Amino acid sequence: MKLKRIILSTLFVIMMTTPLVHAEELSVDDIINRANLASYYAGDDGRADVTMTITDTQGRERKREFVILRKDKENGGEQLFFVYFKKPSDVRKMVFIVHKHLDRDDDRWLYLPALDLVKRIAASDKRTSFVGSNYLYEDVSGRRIDADRHELTQTTDQFYVLKNTPRQPGEVEFSSYTLWIDKATFLPMKTVYLDKNGKEYRVVEALEVQTFDGIPTVTVSTATDLIAGTSTLAEFKSIHYNIGLKEDVFTERYLRRPPREVRR
Amino acid sequence: MQLERTMIQFSLNRPGLMTGLMVLITILLGTLIVQVHIDTDPENMLSEDEFVRIFHNQTKKEFNLHDVVVLGVVNEEHGQGVFNPDSLKKIHQLSTFASTLSDPDKPERSVIARNIIAPDNVDTIEQAGLGQVKFQWLMKEPPATLEEALKIRDQALANPLLNGTMVSEDGRALAIYIPITQKDFAHQVSKKLKEKIATFPAGSDQFYITGLPVAEDTFGNEMFIQMAISAPLAMIMIFLLMLVFFKKIQLIVSPMIIAVCTVISTMGLLIGTGNTLHIMSSMIPIFIMPIAVVDSIHILSEFFDEYQKIKDRRKTIEQVMQHLFKPMLFTSLTSSAGFASLALTPIPPVQAFGIFVAVGIMLAWLLTILFIPAYIMLMKEESLKNFGTTRHTDAGSDNSLINRHLRWIGKTSTTRPWWIIGFNLVVMGIGVIGIFMIQVNDNPVKWFHKSHEIRIADKVLNQHFGGTYEAYLVLSSDEPEATAVEAARWLEDTLSKNLKNTPMIREKILSQLAEAATENLPVQQMAQKLSLSWQEEIDLLDIGDDDGYDAWSHALDTLDQVRNQKQIFKRPDLLNYIITLQEYLASRGDVGKSNSIADVVKKVHQELFEGDPARFKIPKTSNAVAQTLISYQNSHKPDDLWHLITPDYTRANLWLQLRSGDNKDMERVIKDVENYLKENPAPVKLNAQWAGLTYINVAWQDKMVTGMLKSFLSSFIVVFIMMTILFRSVIWGALAMLPLTCTIVIIYGVIGLIGKDYDMPVAVLSSLTLGLAVDFAIHFLQRSRATMTRLGDWNTTVQEMFEEPGRAIARNTIVISIGFTPLLFAPLIPYQTVGVFLAVIMFYSGLATLWILPALLTVLRRWIFVSAQ
Repeated sequence: MKLKRIILSTLFVIMMTTPLVHAEELSVDDIINRANLASYYAGDDGRADVTMTITDTQGRERKREFVILRKDKENGGEQLFFVYFKKPSDVRKMVFIVHKHLDRDDDRWLYLPALDLVKRIAASDKRTSFVGSNYLYEDVSGRRIDADRHELTQTTDQFYVLKNTPRQPGEVEFSSYTLWIDKATFLPMKTVYLDKNGKEYRVVEALEVQTFDGIPTVTVSTATDLIAGTSTLAEFKSIHYNIGLKEDVFTERYLRRPPREVRR
Repeated sequence: MQLERTMIQFSLNRPGLMTGLMVLITILLGTLIVQVHIDTDPENMLSEDEFVRIFHNQTKKEFNLHDVVVLGVVNEEHGQGVFNPDSLKKIHQLSTFASTLSDPDKPERSVIARNIIAPDNVDTIEQAGLGQVKFQWLMKEPPATLEEALKIRDQALANPLLNGTMVSEDGRALAIYIPITQKDFAHQVSKKLKEKIATFPAGSDQFYITGLPVAEDTFGNEMFIQMAISAPLAMIMIFLLMLVFFKKIQLIVSPMIIAVCTVISTMGLLIGTGNTLHIMSSMIPIFIMPIAVVDSIHILSEFFDEYQKIKDRRKTIEQVMQHLFKPMLFTSLTSSAGFASLALTPIPPVQAFGIFVAVGIMLAWLLTILFIPAYIMLMKEESLKNFGTTRHTDAGSDNSLINRHLRWIGKTSTTRPWWIIGFNLVVMGIGVIGIFMIQVNDNPVKWFHKSHEIRIADKVLNQHFGGTYEAYLVLSSDEPEATAVEAARWLEDTLSKNLKNTPMIREKILSQLAEAATENLPVQQMAQKLSLSWQEEIDLLDIGDDDGYDAWSHALDTLDQVRNQKQIFKRPDLLNYIITLQEYLASRGDVGKSNSIADVVKKVHQELFEGDPARFKIPKTSNAVAQTLISYQNSHKPDDLWHLITPDYTRANLWLQLRSGDNKDMERVIKDVENYLKENPAPVKLNAQWAGLTYINVAWQDKMVTGMLKSFLSSFIVVFIMMTILFRSVIWGALAMLPLTCTIVIIYGVIGLIGKDYDMPVAVLSSLTLGLAVDFAIHFLQRSRATMTRLGDWNTTVQEMFEEPGRAIARNTIVISIGFTPLLFAPLIPYQTVGVFLAVIMFYSGLATLWILPALLTVLRRWIFVSAQ
């Protein structure tokens, strides 16, 4: 997998140094790589206050409020996440740490303060719900781009439309998904998942994009389960990039006592 | 009577027009039948605005619950039951297949794929080594080896939500629960599953399909087949019997025409007025038919006897109608009143049933007095030449079986009246004892015969699993929140004790609390304000100030208890209470299995601590419960939680699985819960409310039993008043009520004595008894009094009574009791019940009339005939 990383970073370098490359000339791999970087690797590190509002068919709402810190070990490569929960109030101080790897399963830790328990969560299946919302773990930390075969089906004025088919269909609940990638920002603006019968059942959509520290960032997005009729609205606030996060913030040491960065 | 004369003369003068009119109206009404809307849902036994039903639907919506088709798979031959690669592969295929099912014509009727409980659609939490837990699909793909199959079994058994529900406790059988959007889709789902199963190569797996929705929907389907067979069969039987009595086919066709016209017109009216065809209303033809035939038989029977004397059809029919008009009008009115009283029950389908049978009876009466004379007039005089008895003496022939018996009955009842009265008193006494032994009970699954596949599936699956009958106990509390002042005081007490080590922070908090208490804010606003302020304090702390961080954190945690006080189902004490309630119910035996939020908390808590069995319990604080539950929500199907609790944690759903759908068993569970809650007060005052199909059945049964009793008593009184008016005497009125009273006491006594459940058809039969049994009494008393007035001597009167009038009653009794025996061969139990009881009711009320009334008249003759004269 080292080769992969070299290729990725080379690609990155190429992309950075050739900003005027014409869209038409981009290959599918270029598009998917740039989209991956734009949505998951903005800056070297960053923080955001996230509010998730889960609404069910009966209109009942549940809220999750957390701070998310991220540090890239290398662009397009390994990453570290630190999620500190503020709401619901009885899960306050709950912490979730992810060490994202490309060549093996991620490492995940969960700290449950009321049980004073640090738990490693096996990450063999990342398509489970993120704390009961319509977002999956894979939506939060990103799906490995080599997990799917990508195919450019359409190029519109605004979007590259990519159809993605899983290489290991048995491991996921979808048969394929389609990405609408913004040509200017390379942010995926809409993702529609088809179930095994080819029916749309899940949509993730970016509703608002703002620029922070020169980086276009999704600030409002939704994930909708078309069959259950539930949806989750995620709002991102206090977004900062390149704040100089240290790697040791993302270790068990900070599970019980969150780092200063989560507080503001 | 002027009206009577006009009506009969009209049909005698214009028989063709009369017949044409009748046929035309029947055809017009009959065309309405095509608009039929079938309703097989016993839920509709309750009116739509009934609280129980509203709450049931609200609960289904609130907890996202659906009616469920249960598919059980049992393998008795393989050593590990169904937990072998081959069986699991089939189960996987079936589950996948079920998830695709929907009605092509009505897409809103479908299987709810995401809520299927099947090995490939449930998560398992398991230890993944090195202190890790993982959520994964229990059986993503069917296993290749026996070892893998057994692993799936063990994981399912270790999950309290699946053990006894999806996997049998002995680990040998498996059940898939297929939720459907609408109950009336159940039969189709079951049919499709059976087709799929038929495509499997022969193996040792046994597949069973059950669940209340399947039973109810299948019943509806079979009900119509049943009606299409039984009703015509009954008609044929009646026809054949009449043929035996009256010999003249041409003549006995007329009651059949009346029965058919009445049934078609009544059903047309029922459907035309926008009523659905329900299990109850589907029985209307069966009830109307005997009644429609009864009057015609009276007329024919008398015509049969008199014609040869008078030798003129017009004169004969005029004389017969003169005799019979009044008793027929009254018998029809009383029968109608009996059924119309069902409108007083609070059950819509029973109301519709009662009203339309009442309408049908009056229609039958009208058709009888209009059509029978017309029909006789349409026949040529010559064709009647051999009708009835060629010689007058034949009708009263000593050799006739009926005559011999009738005369014997007549003789005993007048010569030994006290014997008969005494005997009947004893029988009544036994009947009353029987009535006290009556068990009110019903169960839609038991509407099928024991050998029906649904009954078999029901039996097999309820042996293996916790139960396929579902009831939901919704728990909530309406205890008011603590006020701001109370909350502030409690916080003061708690925090001043616990924050002794950080006096600065303690003072800050106490002064804030003192201030907050005086501000008069609602408690949640106060808490919100304090929370924000304390959160800010934490953010301002120095990075190394661990003590400060701990102190403020503790204050915030304590404050949470105030903020979350409404979220009672995160409280460990309450969850432990629910567990003891579940254990209690399990110990009582009716509940095979119950599932609650407490089960989830226990299981997740255990898995968080390396699967340690000692941790299979509720953690100590409500925050720990909350964090356990949020861990659970990291699974594939976090929303499964909301079947057991509302997202605001204020209402919990205890899902009970009962092994039997008998109402009496459900009632016992209700009582058990009631007693438990009373004797063991919960830490929070709890409201417990029931929902679920099994409970709904109990709810409408309750209404039916009390409703039927009320309607029966009121119609009894109405009929008694009518009788008093008819005979212009209270004593004669009371006499008329006697045969039906005896019949009812004996019928229901027998039901109690033989242990037959008092269910829906049995309840409805009381009205039928009232209507039919009083008919015979009216005919008998009316004729006795008229004859007595004419002859002035009781003994000769009795002799005459047991000739033609007695024969009419006896013929009626026999025709109807035997006419409905085809119902005994029906595969659906309610129809069998109706068949048996119709026969017994007719037989006994006929007997009671001919037996008890003459005996009583003999004893009382000195007083009553004097008063009558």
